[in-house]
Amino acid sequence: MTILRFHQLPSSLSIAFSSRHERSFSGSSELVALTPRRNQCWRYSPLKSSNGSPLAGASWKDDGKEMPVPKGPDIGSQLTENTVSITVVGASGDLAKKKIFPALFALYYEDYLPQHFTVFGYARSKLTDDELRDTISKTLTCRVDKRENCSDKMEQFLQRCFYHSGQYGSEVDFCELDNKLKEKEEGKTANRLFYLSIPPNIFVDVVRGASRSASSLKGWTRFIVEKPFGRDSESSSELTRCLKMYLTEEQIFRIDHYLGKELVENLSVLRFANLVFEPLWSRNYIRNVQLIFSEDFGTEGRGGYFDHYGIIRDIMQNHLLQILALFAMETPVSLDAEDIRNEKVKVLRSMRVLKLDDVVVGQYKGHTKGGKSFPAYTDDPTVPKGSLTPTFAAAALFIDNARWDGVPFLMKAGKALHRRGAEIRVQFRHVPGNLYKRKFGTDLDKATNELVIRVQPNEAIYLKINNKVPGLSMRLDSSNLNLLYSERYPREIPDAYERLLLDAIEGERRLFIRSDELDAAWAIFSPLLRELEEKKVVPELYPYGSRGPVGAHYLAAKYNVRWGDLSDSS
Amino acid sequence: MFLYMSDPLVRVRYAACLFLLDPSLSLSWPPRIEIEIRPPRNLLQSPSLRPRSKTQTNTRLFSERERRKKLMAVSFPKCPSSPLPPLQTRNRAWSSPLCAPIQVGDSSKWALFETTKRCHLSVSATNGGSAVAPVEPSKKIQDSGTKTTPTDHSTKVENGVPQTVFSSNEFQDLKTGPNDSGRESTVSITVVGASGDLAKKKIFPALFALYYEGFLPKHFTIFGYARSKMTDAELREMVSRTLNCRIDQRENCDAKMEEFLKRCFYHSGQYDSEAHFVELDKKLKQHEGSRISNRLYYLSIPPNIFLDVVKCTSLAASSENGWTRVIVEKPFGRDAESSAALTRGLKQYLHEDQIFRIDHYLGKELVENLSVLRFSNLVFEPLWSRQYIRNVQIIFSEDFGTEGRGGYFDSYGIIRDIMQNHLLQIVALFAMETPTSLEAEDIRNEKVKVLRSMKTLEIDDVIIGQYKSHTRGGVVYPGYTDDKTVPNDSLTPTFAAAALFINNARWDGVPFLMKAGKALHTKRAEIRVQFRHVPGNLYKKCFGTDLDRATNELVIRVQPDEAIYLKINNKIPGLGMRLDRSNLNLHYAARYSKEIPCAYERLLLDAIEGERRLFIRSDELDAAWALFTPLLKELEEKRIAPELYPYGSRGPVGAHYLAAKYNVRWGDLGAEH
Repeated sequence: MTILRFHQLPSSLSIAFSSRHERSFSGSSELVALTPRRNQCWRYSPLKSSNGSPLAGASWKDDGKEMPVPKGPDIGSQLTENTVSITVVGASGDLAKKKIFPALFALYYEDYLPQHFTVFGYARSKLTDDELRDTISKTLTCRVDKRENCSDKMEQFLQRCFYHSGQYGSEVDFCELDNKLKEKEEGKTANRLFYLSIPPNIFVDVVRGASRSASSLKGWTRFIVEKPFGRDSESSSELTRCLKMYLTEEQIFRIDHYLGKELVENLSVLRFANLVFEPLWSRNYIRNVQLIFSEDFGTEGRGGYFDHYGIIRDIMQNHLLQILALFAMETPVSLDAEDIRNEKVKVLRSMRVLKLDDVVVGQYKGHTKGGKSFPAYTDDPTVPKGSLTPTFAAAALFIDNARWDGVPFLMKAGKALHRRGAEIRVQFRHVPGNLYKRKFGTDLDKATNELVIRVQPNEAIYLKINNKVPGLSMRLDSSNLNLLYSERYPREIPDAYERLLLDAIEGERRLFIRSDELDAAWAIFSPLLRELEEKKVVPELYPYGSRGPVGAHYLAAKYNVRWGDLSDSS
Repeated sequence: MFLYMSDPLVRVRYAACLFLLDPSLSLSWPPRIEIEIRPPRNLLQSPSLRPRSKTQTNTRLFSERERRKKLMAVSFPKCPSSPLPPLQTRNRAWSSPLCAPIQVGDSSKWALFETTKRCHLSVSATNGGSAVAPVEPSKKIQDSGTKTTPTDHSTKVENGVPQTVFSSNEFQDLKTGPNDSGRESTVSITVVGASGDLAKKKIFPALFALYYEGFLPKHFTIFGYARSKMTDAELREMVSRTLNCRIDQRENCDAKMEEFLKRCFYHSGQYDSEAHFVELDKKLKQHEGSRISNRLYYLSIPPNIFLDVVKCTSLAASSENGWTRVIVEKPFGRDAESSAALTRGLKQYLHEDQIFRIDHYLGKELVENLSVLRFSNLVFEPLWSRQYIRNVQIIFSEDFGTEGRGGYFDSYGIIRDIMQNHLLQIVALFAMETPTSLEAEDIRNEKVKVLRSMKTLEIDDVIIGQYKSHTRGGVVYPGYTDDKTVPNDSLTPTFAAAALFINNARWDGVPFLMKAGKALHTKRAEIRVQFRHVPGNLYKKCFGTDLDRATNELVIRVQPDEAIYLKINNKIPGLGMRLDRSNLNLHYAARYSKEIPCAYERLLLDAIEGERRLFIRSDELDAAWALFTPLLKELEEKRIAPELYPYGSRGPVGAHYLAAKYNVRWGDLGAEH
């Protein structure tokens, strides 16, 4: 069948294959440069027989502690018999429908999934397999750039999707699931991945049920959990403790989907694969760093979950802090997951605990613009009337280590702002003894260099430099050295979930959060969150669709910073 | 607080100034802004600048549209009592400051006014804290400024943006207005060798462009001088064929051209005849009238008659009451001795500050920008040393040969023609230490220091080549020696590559590779900075074995298609971890819609204004020759035969060996540029 499929492959797919191939070795540090020639090599290599070469990498990595995976000389034969079963727990939920199933299909479409795999939906609602397939098929799309065979592929994919209905807390139901899984796995070495797309309060129930009754006997069993990981240090460590009653640390994959974003992944490449940035990457040259996240819509009737957490827990403490850690960490010993995460933990632990003075919170209020009125946060029927939950927050963080002492890291996250975007801005210091000072006037801040990494939308990297305006006079202006992804890389950028699911299947933990990371992250934010709640700090109101509360400017001004995204020439 | 607007270095022709007050700054409104104008240091020497008594200011707010852009005019208020003290009564020589209080009504604003001379301008906001950002005047303002009549203010619409121009009569005094003809100054530009190619193709068009853009003084005269007999009309006819207007401003082109041609005259004479120059002087005086006359001579003639012409002009046709300057262009001798002899000869008749040695490469936009890049950006200077830079390549190539004009070239060769001057100047600018200021002397001091730190070139570090004929696609391209104007056994190099070293703390051990050649496969001039490998590169395995391909590179493309780009390693989007080299780009054509002025325009203007930054001082020239002279002598004495390379090829293989000797790969010949 493998051979047949190779014949069916459009030639463009071979590229995808080869990159897959390359990746499969990344775990074992055998990355080699890709050349067309290697492409060829790979196609006729013994690995060909396994469409699931990724599995090879995964099982080599995983064997150590957790699972008695057969290893050694029979790896070759084992490859053909591997299968992976992906169970999406909470299959009827929004995330599952919008992100997880499409990501799985994309992986399948691009042939990143093993040859034999099973996708199971698990939820309380009664559905038949066909009903599930029907729900899923509505959200599946093929990549823009490769439409060939799309419906065939989709058909094939859907045939591997099944549904099992059961209670989240019932071990019996998971036993049934286990039976069904075994049936589909056909006696192959079974690896099982559970994606918990469910509310956090039933995490532990499901983990208990699944790990006791539906663990793989011969292969690995992994659990992907997504935020929120608790509400503060205590609840987070409680959650970790409970998970660890049933799982080992290696089985837990805590997803932070921002880490799967293309430009966040590229951050390390930029820093460590280029000579020109690393010398500048310290307090000597960097004046401040800004991490900005904004959405141009509010809770829109889904404020129930959000109101309980607020923007700080929802965005800052995880996504933005993770980016910050990647940005600021020291050079890791290697690109291995543990080395990178060690460095991230070090940075997080060097950070000053956030104080109330260094934080501004806001909440959007109703606003009428162009005859259209936008609702306030508290107008949302799912939000309590007197809610003080912040929908906007800005914070100044500091890393007390040799590299970053005194450099403010400003974070800003908000809903219902004037635009949507996520970016990292690095503002460099003034040029000491600038010969061209007089050309800039008094506002020297406008004349500093700035590196902008735009994570979304329109992925781009640009460096603002001062340049002479062509002409006979000596006028300077700020121009950009640009790299627009859409121009340079015409291929569609994969969704973060694709990357993360694939990494979980492969056992590549670089982009997942370790417990001690999580603890360190909560330690920075917990005191502040408690204080906000105890003191009932009232958020500053800002109109829906505005640039956020003024307080954010004062906060920035306190540390001599101007928000880069709000200047004219951003 | 006080701000000094005009840096003495910078030419402020139409010193429009523009203040941008940032609304985020806490100024209490309306602040009181005071503008103070002080005469430049050298103004006392110039009797032309007698101030006029009448003081009048005009106020005009910007249009609504402009205001919507949060820019509003600040202006000199129309005060019944004159806001600026009458100049004449205070001080004829205009040595004391002028003050004008300004009321500012809105949060963002600008004020602008014009003058043709440099002056110190300070602005103070007396009521409130921080504040004012003077910005160099935009070109548009300057243009509309020139079109505005002195006593009137007007709103001009240019490119759809209404501009209001303020002109106040005080500043007219600084202009060379016609109504003050007694003591006004004028400039006479004499192009010696007017019938030559350079004059026709470059100098006259550059002068016209300056005139078109309003950079020339109000009154000016252009004289062509050559041996051929011609009438004024014939000269105009000849000149008019090469004039063209800037693409972006075609208005009034014909009218302007007509006016310009009317100011062009011709005088025929021998280059070594003082009598003929006396005649020229008479003609010049006639046009200059009683104005203060400044004279600029552009010697567009073969170097062997430089001295004759200089002697005649300085003895017979110097200005009596203004300055006289002489622009000379390469070649400045053939080696250290002849160059020194030429300098000595020129100095018999001229002072150093009258001699303007042009190197038109220094007038190129991106070469000028080199200093801006280095010194006004934080991100480059830390990298600008042996610690991070692996090598620097300066590449010049032409895709045509001598094409029947080998006579001059054959006696000089590519090293003297391109390397010793243009490329070496770029190296000096690139590698110099930070100057104390942007003053011409400070910059040139630093350049001399770099040149003097350089290791004298040895023959082992040089490769020379000569193109041979080549047939491609049925077309036969001639070899260099096939050129009728070139001796058949000529050994003159048409290609050269050299490795230079600067023995100072910053650059020790970093090879500076130069390459210049004719009849190559492309036409280009660029500076390439190859950075070192990333020490302990975590992503080493993603690059394969050829780590040289994975280093960062900064490319400054001087011509064609001006651009700056930085090659960085980037992750190819997708699920794998593949890296590639992407560019952080700045394409001038995409970023700046304006046409980039020709190098000669800039240099001519600088010479008229006495700005010497882009001209070569004698000691610079000596240092430059000192580097190349021993090599040149050796090449000639040993009669070293150049390596032949086919017309239109990538040059001789020797250049690769030379680069390889220093572990360098030419950046322009890689698979990707």
